[in-house]
Amino acid sequence: MFFDFHIHGDLEVALNAGKLGYHGVVLTLCSRDCINHPETLKTLRKNVKKIKSNNGKNPPSIQIGVEIESQNPEDLKKKVSKFRKKTDVILVHGGDLKLNRAATEDPRVDILSHPYRTRFDSGINHVLAVKASENSVAIELNLKYYLLTRPSHRYRVLTQFRQIMKLHRKYKFPVIITSDAGTSYDLRDPFDVMALAACFGMTKEEAFEALSKTPQEIIRRNEIRDKIIIPGARFVR
Amino acid sequence: MKLKILPTHLRDKKRYLAFQAFSEIPLERDDIITMVTESSGNLYGACGTSHMGMWVVKVWDYPVPEKNMIRGIIRCNRDEVDRARAVIPNITNFRGKRVVFHTLGISGTIKAAITNFIKLKAADE
Repeated sequence: MFFDFHIHGDLEVALNAGKLGYHGVVLTLCSRDCINHPETLKTLRKNVKKIKSNNGKNPPSIQIGVEIESQNPEDLKKKVSKFRKKTDVILVHGGDLKLNRAATEDPRVDILSHPYRTRFDSGINHVLAVKASENSVAIELNLKYYLLTRPSHRYRVLTQFRQIMKLHRKYKFPVIITSDAGTSYDLRDPFDVMALAACFGMTKEEAFEALSKTPQEIIRRNEIRDKIIIPGARFVR
Repeated sequence: MKLKILPTHLRDKKRYLAFQAFSEIPLERDDIITMVTESSGNLYGACGTSHMGMWVVKVWDYPVPEKNMIRGIIRCNRDEVDRARAVIPNITNFRGKRVVFHTLGISGTIKAAITNFIKLKAADE
């Protein structure tokens, strides 16, 4: 079972991902698009329901997520609390060190998206790694970021990915591979991605974990999130 | 004088990768060769590419509405299948237009690759 947890764009892309062999996808919206327009989320949910009822040929399970862009940590916290109940998955648009830190310290965040964006290092150090593993915030390896970098600069992205994997082995925070696809030209076959992950310094098991186990873990955690009273205690009926 | 063919145990062992490509412009076999060699050169360099022995065997055109689809077979060394497979998702554009490659499967013979993955007959019908 493979999952792609970061797909921008329309439902067509999600259905194409299903054809490629993904079992579940998350359609992500930008927070700036839907923060003042709550109807965007509702219409998307309606469309997803329609597709589920129309398509008989086992479409992928589609969830809705939001990629939160913010200027500072306080803004981020506000937006996370705003969107947590409305959407299934919360991604944080990383890249800035303060935002990376704020995202890894927040257990409500599911995925920290490209913490290495526009940086020379990976954007993650041992402090953030410990926080991420405590709060189980997954760090994203973004395929679009890698593929759309110029070939002569790709070595830099590979180094960043490798640095993340090195920290992952020591501190055991979850790592997830996503496509960040806007069109179907950005989608890749999951087994091809597993082969490509060898270039990021991942073994086959690690690549499978990043494509399959971490997303399942996120789904499982989000199902019981409402029932959790305090960390470690769950309301059982 | 022509060289004598190597005995079977000395020949390189091969695997065949069946792939399909979608593109914004129609593609030919020469274009595929350019893309594959360029992308493996970018990823592994000359030394790494020489280990894999990649070669585009044959391509077939598939008429699909609103898209240019092509299916084909790439040959590579048996020991380097995974590394050769990693080259395929690296292809992103050709002459400024978007291209995407998906691996359909790996097989030991061209015949099996055609019957199992390329499925010529299905396309004819």
